[in-house]
Amino acid sequence: MSTLETSSPGRTFSGLRRRVREFSLISRDPVLFLSLLIAGIIIFLFVVLPIYRTVSGGFFDKEGVWDLKYFARYFDNYYGPNLRRAFYDTMTMGLLTAVFGTVVGFIFAYATVRCSPPGKKIIHWLALLPTVSPPFALALSLILLFGRNGLITKKLLGIQFVQGMNDIYGMDGLVLVQTITFFSVAYLILRAMLERLNPAMEEAAASLGASRIHIFRTVTLPLLIPGIAGSFLLLFVESLADLGNPLFIAGNKTVLSAQIYLAVIGEYDYQKASALSFVLIIPTLVLFLVQRYYVNRRSYISVTGKPAISQITEKDPFIRWGFNGLTYLICAFVILLYATIVYGSFSFTWGVDFTPTLRHWNLTVTRGVEAILDTTFLSALATPFAALLGMVIAWLVVRKNFSGKEVLDFSSNLGGAVPGTILGIGFIMAFNKPPLALAVAIYALLALFYAQVVGKNAAERLAILILGTLGGVALTRLEAKTMYFALGGLFILLGGLVFVANKKFWPAVVVALVGVYVMSTNWAVQIAKPLSDYTRTMERGFWSNALFQFADYLKTLLQPPPSLVAIALFVVGVMVLNSLRQRGWRIGGGVLGLAVPCALMFTGIPFALVGGAYIIMAAYIVRSLPASVRAGVASLQQIDPSIEEASNSLGADAQYTFRKVTLPLILPALLAGLIFSFTRHMTSLSAIIFLVNAKWRIVTASILSEWEQGGVSIAAAYSTVIIVLVLLAIAVLNLITAKMLRGRGGVDISQTM
Amino acid sequence: MYLTLENITKVFPPRGGATEVTAVKNVNLEINKGELVTLLGPSGCGKTTTLRMIAGFEFPTSGEIVLDGKQINQLPPHKRDMSMVFQSYAIFPHLTVFENIAYGLNVQKLPKDQIKRRVDKALDLVHLEGYGSRAPNQLSGGQQQRVALARALVMEPKVLLMDEPLSNLDAKLREEMRMEIRRIQQELNITSVYVTHDQIEAMTLSDKIVIMNNGIIEQTGTPVEIYRYPSSRFVANFIGRANFVPGVVEERTATGFAINALGKVLQVQKARHDFTPGQPVTLIIRPEIVQVQQNGGGYEGTIKRAVYLGNLVEYEVDVSGQVISGVETDPTHMEVLPAGSKVSVRFPEALIQAIPMEGANA
Repeated sequence: MSTLETSSPGRTFSGLRRRVREFSLISRDPVLFLSLLIAGIIIFLFVVLPIYRTVSGGFFDKEGVWDLKYFARYFDNYYGPNLRRAFYDTMTMGLLTAVFGTVVGFIFAYATVRCSPPGKKIIHWLALLPTVSPPFALALSLILLFGRNGLITKKLLGIQFVQGMNDIYGMDGLVLVQTITFFSVAYLILRAMLERLNPAMEEAAASLGASRIHIFRTVTLPLLIPGIAGSFLLLFVESLADLGNPLFIAGNKTVLSAQIYLAVIGEYDYQKASALSFVLIIPTLVLFLVQRYYVNRRSYISVTGKPAISQITEKDPFIRWGFNGLTYLICAFVILLYATIVYGSFSFTWGVDFTPTLRHWNLTVTRGVEAILDTTFLSALATPFAALLGMVIAWLVVRKNFSGKEVLDFSSNLGGAVPGTILGIGFIMAFNKPPLALAVAIYALLALFYAQVVGKNAAERLAILILGTLGGVALTRLEAKTMYFALGGLFILLGGLVFVANKKFWPAVVVALVGVYVMSTNWAVQIAKPLSDYTRTMERGFWSNALFQFADYLKTLLQPPPSLVAIALFVVGVMVLNSLRQRGWRIGGGVLGLAVPCALMFTGIPFALVGGAYIIMAAYIVRSLPASVRAGVASLQQIDPSIEEASNSLGADAQYTFRKVTLPLILPALLAGLIFSFTRHMTSLSAIIFLVNAKWRIVTASILSEWEQGGVSIAAAYSTVIIVLVLLAIAVLNLITAKMLRGRGGVDISQTM
Repeated sequence: MYLTLENITKVFPPRGGATEVTAVKNVNLEINKGELVTLLGPSGCGKTTTLRMIAGFEFPTSGEIVLDGKQINQLPPHKRDMSMVFQSYAIFPHLTVFENIAYGLNVQKLPKDQIKRRVDKALDLVHLEGYGSRAPNQLSGGQQQRVALARALVMEPKVLLMDEPLSNLDAKLREEMRMEIRRIQQELNITSVYVTHDQIEAMTLSDKIVIMNNGIIEQTGTPVEIYRYPSSRFVANFIGRANFVPGVVEERTATGFAINALGKVLQVQKARHDFTPGQPVTLIIRPEIVQVQQNGGGYEGTIKRAVYLGNLVEYEVDVSGQVISGVETDPTHMEVLPAGSKVSVRFPEALIQAIPMEGANA
C-alpha cells in the first residue's frame, strides 16, 4: 500500500520540496547550520576523502591507468599461495581473538556484576588498563617473559630454543596478546548489558519453576546475545586493524595490516598498499555494518538507560568462585605483563643480565625527549578539538533532524573503525599534492553559506561573494610576508567595523585578536628565537632539548596551514557578521570577512599537509572522534529534550542554548571524551606511522624502530613513559572533574568505549 | 482576535519505513486576549502538536498562525513572544531556582537589579519566597512545577503555553495547582493555551475548551456549552458520561423536533443541528438526569445492575431492549433496588440533546 503512495511522482516532488524547505529553515539558525557544515567538511576531508583515496588507489598505477595487477596476484600460482595464506591467517587471527576476547570479557563482566568479587574496583581498572597502553606493550612484555631469551622460558625453565620448536612467536602468541589487549571492549559491553538486565525477568522464570541452568539458557543468555554478538564483531574488527602486535609477535605468520605497512615502508609501493587495504577493508566494513545495523537494532536491552537498581547476586559458591578465580588469574597475568614492561626498562641486558640499571632510562630521556614531548604536545593540542567536535556531532545527531544525518553519524564512526593503516595511507595520498579543485569546492561551499547568512537579499549576497572573492584572489598576489600583515590588518579593521556597527565589545575584540593571530605568522620565528637562543647557552641535556622543542611548538602554534585557518575564519565571520543591521556595514564587513579567508585558502598549495604537525593531529582527531561522539550521544539521550526547548522558548537561540544549557549538562561526557581522546592519541600507532617525519617524532613509532634495532629495554622504557603519562592525565582530569562536578555524579570513562 | 490558527495542517514525514502521519488536519482556532483556552483530547489527538506549532517547535505544513496581527508561521521559538511550561517541568538542573527563573531575562541582557526585582516578584506570585538559592533537586514536584510556571511568567509573554503541566503531580497537589494557575492567569490577565487530557482540569480552568480527536477539532465552546450541548458522540462520551439512544425525527415543532425513540415521541429542544423528518438521530441523555423509581410513570424497565457507591447509586436499566444508565443522588432514596426489579425511568425532555446518527446518511 505504502509503496504505491511513495512512488507516485507527486509524493517524490513534495518530499523534495520539503527537503529544500528544511534547509532554508536551518539557515535561519546560522549557528546550527554552521556547525553542521564544519562537521561535514572535517569528516569529509579527514575521513571520507582519505578512505576513498586508499580504496581507489589500488586500482590505478603510478600513471593513473586502470590496473588490477595486485588483485590478480591473489589468483596466480606465484604470489597467490602466500597472499591467500596471509588472508586466511588474518581471518583466523580475527576469529580466534574475537572468540577468546568475548569469553574473557564475559567472565570479567559476570564476575564483577554478579559474583561480588573482593577488590571489584581494582579488577575494573585492571580490565581497562590495556585500553590505555600502547598497542604493542603487551606483545613486548610477552616476548620478554616467554621469548627465546624470556625471563620464564629461559631463566626459570631453562628452555633452549632450537629451530622448529614452538615458541611464543606466531599465531598462538598473537592471539593471546590480542585477547588480553582487546577483551576490555567485550567486558564493557557485556557489563553494561548485565547491569541493565531487569532482575525481575530471571525471578519471573524462577517463580515459574525453571532451574538455574534452564534460566541461564532460556532467559539470561538470549537477552545477552546481542551484546555477545556485538562484542564479537567489534573485537574481530579491532583485531584485523591491529598493526603493533602482529609486527612484534607474528613471527613467520604475516597478516594484512603488516603486509600493508611493509608495502609502504619497505617498497614505497602505494598501489600495492592500497590494493591490500582494499582486501582488508572489505571484511572490516562488513563486520562493522553488521554490528551497527543488525546486532544493535536487535537488542532487547537499551544500553543508554540506567542500570537496574537491584542486581541478582550469584549464590552458588562453585559458580561464584569459579568466575572470581578465573578473573583473579587473568588479573594476575595482566599485572605480571605490566610489571615486566617496567622491569624490562631497568634490566641491564634482558635475557643475559637482569641487574637493574638506569642506563636505558638515561638514553630514553636524552635521545627520546623529542619524541616524548612531540607526542604529548600533539596529543594534548588535538584533544580539545576532538572532544568538542564529538559533542557537536553528538548534539546534531541526537537532537536535530536533517537529511544526511545518518551519513554524518556513520562516517564520524568510520574513522575509528577502519584500520589505522588504511587511514594513514589515505592521508598521504590525499594531502601530499591535493588538487586545487578540493580547495575550490570547500571554499565555494563555505562562501555561499557565508553570503547567505551575512547578506539580506540576492543583490547583497552577490556583491559580497564577487567582491570578497576578487579581493581575496588579489591579496594572494602579494608577497607572503606582506600578505599576512595585510590580512591580519584587514581583520583588525573588521573588528573595528563590528564595534562601530554593533556597539558590542567582545565580538569586536575577538575578531581583532584573530587578526593579530594571523599577523603573528610573520613573527613566529622572532617570538620563538629568544627561547631557542637561550637553549644554546644551556648545558646540553634533557632541559636544553626540552626547551628547544618548546620554541618549536610555539612556532607551530603560530603557523598552522593557511587553508585550515581559512575554515576557522569563516566560522568567526559567520558568528560575528550575521547580525549587522545597516546595509553599508553589512556589505563592507561582508566583503572584508570573505576576502581574508579566501586569500588564506588559496596561498601556496592548499591542504598540502603532509610533513607537518597538523596532519598528525588530524589523524589523532579522526581516530578518537567515535568515542567522544558515543559519549556525547549517550549523555544527550539521557537529557530531556524539553530542557533545551524550554531554553528556546525563553528566547535563547541554538548557540546560547548549547553554551548555557546543553554543554554544562553534558560536561561529564565531555570530560570523558577528553580523557579518552588523549589516551587514544598518545597510544595510536597505525594511523600515524606513515605521517611521522624527521621533525615530528612519535613515541609509538620510536618504540617500533627501537624494537627493530634490538633496543628491547629502551622500547620498554618508552612504553612505560606512555603508560605513566596517560595514567597521570587520567588522574589529573579525574581530579578536575571531581572538583567541577561535586554533587553531580562523576565521570564514567566506560561510557566512551 | 489575538491569536488565530487558520486551516493549520501538520504532516510528519515518514521515518524509519513508516508512512507519513497527518497529526493535525485543518484546524481553525481563535483566541481572545486574556483568555485561557484548553486543548482537550485523548493521547495522539494532535493537541500537543498544535501547541508545539503555536510555540514554534514545529512549523505547520500548511495554514497560518497569526499573533497580534502578525503572521508567525516560520518564526523560530526564541523569536516568538511566548513561553512554555513543559510536562516534565524542564527545570535546568545545573542552575538554582533564581537562575532558572532569571534565565530568559539574562538572554535579554537586562540590568541585574531589574532581573532581581522581576524574579523576586515571580517567586512571590507562585508562593516560593525565599527559595531562590535552592537547587532544583531539593524541591518537591509541586515546587518544581511552580518554578517552571514562574520561569515562564517572568517573561511577561504575549501567550503562555502549558503542555499538560500537572500530569506528573499527585491528585491532591494537582487540584491545588489547578486553582493556583487559574488565579495567576486571571490576576495577570495573560492569554494562555493549555493542553490536557484531563476533563476535570479543562472544566475548572478554561474560558474555552477545544475538544480534539484524530487531528481535528470536534467542538469548541465554554465548559457549559461543551457539557450541555455536545455536538458529537465523541464529545459527549469524552466529557462526562452519556446514554446514546437511537431515534427518528417525526417532525419539526416550534421549539425543536419531535423524535420517536424508545417507543414514544419526545419533544427535543433545537440546539445545534437541523434535521429533516425521517432522519435517524442519536439522543444524548446524561445519566444524572435519569430518574429510576419503583413507581411513577415514564418508561417501564428492568434493573440489570445496581452499584452502591456511597454518595450515589448507579443503575443500569433495560428499557425495551436498550440499556439506560442512571444515577440516584437523592440521599432520601438511598435504599438500593435489587437487580431484576421492575422500575420506571423518567428524564426531563428539555435536557436531551439530539445529534445526527453517525454512519447514517443525512
